[in-house]
Amino acid sequence: MVIVKRRELTLAERLYLPEIGRALALSLRAMFRKRVTRQYPEEPLPTNEVTRGQPRLVVKDDGNIACVSCGMCEVACPAYAITIDGGETDRAIEREPKRFDIDMLRCILCGFCEEACPKDAIYMSDELELADFSRQALVYDIEKLKRPRSALQKRIDYVNKLNDRWRKPSSTR
Amino acid sequence: MPELPLWLVWVIKAAVIYGALLSVAGLMSLAERKVSAWMQYRIGPNRVGPFGLLQPLADGVKFMFKEELVPAGANPFLFRIAPALAALPAMLAVAVIPFAGEIELFGQRTTLSVTDLPISSLYVLAVGGLGIYGIILGGWSSNSKYSLLGSLRASAQMVSYELSLILSILAVVALSGSLDLRVIADAQQADAALWNIARAPLAFLLFVVCMFAETNRHPFDFAESEPELVGGFHTEYSAMRFALFFLGEYCAMTVMSCLATVLFLAGGAIPFWPDAPWWAELASFLVKMSAFLFLYLWVRWTLPRFRFDQLMRLGWKVLLPLALFNLFATAALMAAGVL
Amino acid sequence: MTKIQLNGREVEADPKKPLIAACHEHGANVPHYCYHPGLKAVGSCRICQVEVKQGEMPPRIVAACRTPVAEGMQVNTEAAKAHDARRECLEFLLKNHPLDCPICDKAGECDLQDYSYQEGQGEGRSVEPRRKLDKRKSLGDVILLDEERCILCSRCVRFMEEVPKTPQLTVAGLGSRSTIATFMDRPLSGNYQGNLADVCPVGALTLKKFRFQARVWNLRKSLSTCGECSRGCSITAEVLRGKEVKRFRPRYNDKVNKWWMCDSGRFALERHAEQAPGLGPRIAGALSRGQGAQVHEPIAAPSGVALAADMLAAHERRVVLASPWLSQEEGAALARIAQALGTTAGFVSPAPDGLADRLLHTGDPCPNRRGLTDLGFVALSVEECAARLAGCEVALVVGERAGELLREPLAALDASRRVALFEARALDAPAVKVQIGVPTHVEKSGTWINVDGHVGRLTIARAAPAGTPALTSSLRQLEEMLAAAAAGVVGDTGARR
Repeated sequence: MVIVKRRELTLAERLYLPEIGRALALSLRAMFRKRVTRQYPEEPLPTNEVTRGQPRLVVKDDGNIACVSCGMCEVACPAYAITIDGGETDRAIEREPKRFDIDMLRCILCGFCEEACPKDAIYMSDELELADFSRQALVYDIEKLKRPRSALQKRIDYVNKLNDRWRKPSSTR
Repeated sequence: MPELPLWLVWVIKAAVIYGALLSVAGLMSLAERKVSAWMQYRIGPNRVGPFGLLQPLADGVKFMFKEELVPAGANPFLFRIAPALAALPAMLAVAVIPFAGEIELFGQRTTLSVTDLPISSLYVLAVGGLGIYGIILGGWSSNSKYSLLGSLRASAQMVSYELSLILSILAVVALSGSLDLRVIADAQQADAALWNIARAPLAFLLFVVCMFAETNRHPFDFAESEPELVGGFHTEYSAMRFALFFLGEYCAMTVMSCLATVLFLAGGAIPFWPDAPWWAELASFLVKMSAFLFLYLWVRWTLPRFRFDQLMRLGWKVLLPLALFNLFATAALMAAGVL
Repeated sequence: MTKIQLNGREVEADPKKPLIAACHEHGANVPHYCYHPGLKAVGSCRICQVEVKQGEMPPRIVAACRTPVAEGMQVNTEAAKAHDARRECLEFLLKNHPLDCPICDKAGECDLQDYSYQEGQGEGRSVEPRRKLDKRKSLGDVILLDEERCILCSRCVRFMEEVPKTPQLTVAGLGSRSTIATFMDRPLSGNYQGNLADVCPVGALTLKKFRFQARVWNLRKSLSTCGECSRGCSITAEVLRGKEVKRFRPRYNDKVNKWWMCDSGRFALERHAEQAPGLGPRIAGALSRGQGAQVHEPIAAPSGVALAADMLAAHERRVVLASPWLSQEEGAALARIAQALGTTAGFVSPAPDGLADRLLHTGDPCPNRRGLTDLGFVALSVEECAARLAGCEVALVVGERAGELLREPLAALDASRRVALFEARALDAPAVKVQIGVPTHVEKSGTWINVDGHVGRLTIARAAPAGTPALTSSLRQLEEMLAAAAAGVVGDTGARR
């Protein structure tokens, strides 16, 4: 048990009016302080490499996406947001997704897909805005998910740095 | 300029003044949000029109199109008429406020007020006292315990503070020797030292405190009192009728500010410019009135609400004796020839 | 039976089988690549090494697939030395494996993956480049060979020699350049090539038709029975996202098909697609054609059954024909209905399809011929069915593919005949007045009896189109309505025409 002893109020405090004056002065000063409001759509939120925005597919320098439709992200996705159908190509890596859909309404931005990807093909971008007029329009296909490597480079470097923690220094890769 | 009959001039005058009153009330809803934002390091509404100036219009449109609900078990007639009853008295009271001196309008010399009554201060108090009916009826007819409690509190508060308000005005009336607001204002014209704020500072203080209580504003807004009573007397209201309550509140605030300006700050008088033209007087009047309006907002966003027993104690045990003392002291000083 | 000690337990082992079979039988999960219970053991992969102590001799590491069981041998599959041997063996096998699991169809059911988790060291020490070989070598219409992934276990070679007895594959080349090959790169032939993809323990031999079609962990596997011949091989039906049937794979059944199935059964997938070539669309609910109307209107299945009952009750000279794909349960219900209508039911028995061989395929496309015969159905060729239909006033044709088999006879009937058709897919014929949807054999549960009298089970691998009730319940409803009509009670739908 704690006994709280109240402070005796001074006469000025008991008269109340001087204290009202002080309070009014305080709020008047506050009117001229710097504003903290962010005008959101015009002033976007600052993002950095730790920001986990919506997942995006990396486009390699040769113009193809790095994804081989292995389905690891599909399995890792806790929200069942990803649907992949594989298909064959003539390139050296003979498999690519014919369909790669992420239902952005289901996506919870957890980043498991990025972690699961063995091909460094999917990364969490810093894109956070999501709005449209129909649910179907928010199921993003490959074309909507494609991003050039340069747009994701900050995040890629950050993820590589994180992964280095788990690599043994002796490892030869 | 064509000469118009006197009655038409009056109609025009009334239309202008009521239009102005409603605009001020609308702007107050914006000012309320702006000032609160500024005091909280925010920006406030700025999306509708430049600096958000059209926000009241947008709000009005929104209120118009909202669905209106009447709670089950409510008294539909009283429920529907109560907001109008709450808004009306404040609008009536503005009729006798003397905004400026005589002007020439369409060939008729007339004063810049809707009408001039020899007992205008009495009229203001009488009409202003009716405002509580809207709140009581609104709260009672809602068939909700919160609304009823809110209106009960409002009526108790109104009874308690109206006494002190009238007594503080009485001191001013005594000083001027007239019940006519225009005479009261003109009596202070000469110079700032003769303004009633200087001659009767205690009366001014009492008036300001009671003015907050009379308009149900912070820190005396027990009729609403969101934390305990959800929304108080207007809990069950929605759409335009809800907005009407607020329109009434802002009109009442405006009228009270005008009254304070007339009673204590000599209306539109400007110090050291005894024969100022009517537009300068009007401007001066508006500046003084705005200062009181700002005080309303400033206090609202600074002070916390009282407890209800504190409110009652303050009203009956502090303000009422002080007001009586003030009246007698003023009378005594006048008798002694000091004032 | 020989008594051996396995991991400290006394167990009985079959002396005719290698040691690894005894280990598997008694719950010791010894890894194996080249060993397959249906093939001769060669001991080429060495992954099945276990520790064996016999008599007074010190414990030795032996390959379990090539070691016969001997009385009193003490086997320790979990010895540290055995684990070491297996790990080193695995590292060697992985030396040249491309580790392209993300694009490999075998990933998820790959023994190399499983045993790498179980036994592997998780990290390769090799710094040399891996060998480069042909990753897309075609071995005929069915099989694609990825030489880099191959671990040269030779299961495929032995399968071709021992099961269909058509040796076509061999290990060609020497050392690290050894590959699986056919003579002069001729394409593989035969009706059993699909099994190569099953026996291959890694992703070297894959099915062209399944290539990149689905990740195997996304396939829901349900036990089923092959419906392409009267052998009734036990299979699993694998369905992607509850919709597409992606694979049929053999399921071990010692009495019927062992580990194998033929390609004609394995690739009978097309008819399970939404749009099948040459077949009408699936019926969801029922379709009815009113008097004189030209198009079929979709109606609810129970209303369709009611129309069929009205038709059958109102006319004489009735014919009941069944599909050979009817399950025993459905057949029994239909036999009762035929009896109530005063006729004997027959089932359509199409001509042999000429695919018969000595291994599995019987050539008879009726999977439940024996079961339906036991139930008293008469086997009728398509011509005999046509004759029966031509002489009837009203006909009841029941079962998946019944309309398909009898398409021409049904189309030849004029509009004055009345046919109630229970089919999976819609048929456009003037005499067919009402068609009620039925589930196909991957969409229903039931029983077939194969040519040798063995029971084949069907389970629901995927849902039938919405609004399609099980055929057994449709038939029960029909039977009840006919009974009511016979008793003179007019049902609530029963507008007699």
